[in-house]
Amino acid sequence: MKKCHFENLIDEYLFDKLDEKQKEKFEEHYFNCPQCFEKMNQTDEMIAVIKAHGSEIFRDFYAPRKTRRSRLEPVLAFLTPRQWAMAAVSAALILVVALGVIPNRKTTSPEFLINDDLVRGSSITLISPVIDNLDQVPSEFRWQRLRDNIEYKLFIFHQKELLWTTTTKDNFVTLSENTMSLMAPNKKYSWQVKAFSPEGFLIAVSSPVQFNFVTSK
Amino acid sequence: MEKRKKDIDLDAIVAKYRPVVSFRVKKSIGVRTPDWEDVVNEIMINVVEKLKKGEFRGDSSIGTFIYTITSRRIIDFIRKKSKVLKHAPEPNPYLSPQEHVENRERAQWIADSIEKLKPKYKEILYLYYYQELSREEVAKKLNISPRRVSERVNYAQKLLRKVMRE
Ligand SMILES: [Zn+2]
Repeated sequence: MKKCHFENLIDEYLFDKLDEKQKEKFEEHYFNCPQCFEKMNQTDEMIAVIKAHGSEIFRDFYAPRKTRRSRLEPVLAFLTPRQWAMAAVSAALILVVALGVIPNRKTTSPEFLINDDLVRGSSITLISPVIDNLDQVPSEFRWQRLRDNIEYKLFIFHQKELLWTTTTKDNFVTLSENTMSLMAPNKKYSWQVKAFSPEGFLIAVSSPVQFNFVTSK
Repeated sequence: MEKRKKDIDLDAIVAKYRPVVSFRVKKSIGVRTPDWEDVVNEIMINVVEKLKKGEFRGDSSIGTFIYTITSRRIIDFIRKKSKVLKHAPEPNPYLSPQEHVENRERAQWIADSIEKLKPKYKEILYLYYYQELSREEVAKKLNISPRRVSERVNYAQKLLRKVMRE
């Protein structure tokens, strides 16, 4: 099978990295080239599997979970993860009370469109990180669990650009070293979680929450 | 071109182009939009109508003819949608047109095949597709040339394609 030179654009097309013009050109091309269309379909299926099963396929590549507790105040060092999450929330609350700072969170339900109707869905409460000026790259993102069998999609943005995203059935994501290395100190990031039903419908979203961290160490 | 309208085999055209149109629609409006299938249906109906009326005169290929109809309908759809949607469009994460991989067994089987690849191919798939790093970023991480990254990605793909065609 002779290689069509448009094949090189498949990945970039699937990841939305082509500019408008290239995109149109490629789209017109695959309407005319069964070979590219077939290859794109296979690549897309492969990526879909990688995205959906990544955490199991690549478990060797995930950095072992680090205990970072010692870096924080000794009083927090003996907390269980659950207490940790609570501590994060209370820390946020203290911030609200003490400084009058309102974290970037809304309490109202989000709205989204399903079949042209504005639907009020449930919201997801983000647990951590919800405060600014962390002392290091956050390695774990945690949110409130909705119910069983929900797929969550975590998005991390730098300004408005998507930096990283992943899907999980847990209510937390531990970032690998590689992912953490995508973030730099003193920049504004935000994160958001969306929840999908087993049928693949969007059922809940969180408000985006900003965070940043101060030093790289 | 060489075909006159009465020679056009409509069923064959629908069978051949429906998957292509579906892919394009899902990619543009998102598989999460529940009415994507209606959009595909409308487009196919429109294509057939136009072919029956003899509007395809062969100035372009049939593929381009259908592509143009599809694009027009998608632009229309997005325009209507954005009137209802007041919020700014969100950044576009990778949403596969096949996001709900219907066949779980098949997905699991492909996943298992990826897991069995040699570490150097698994690693490349992990960085390039899972983490969505660019070729250059992957090259830097692994201390190899971007060209080598492409070669490895292509080779890993080739191995998987074999599995997926089975
Ligand atoms: Zn081609």
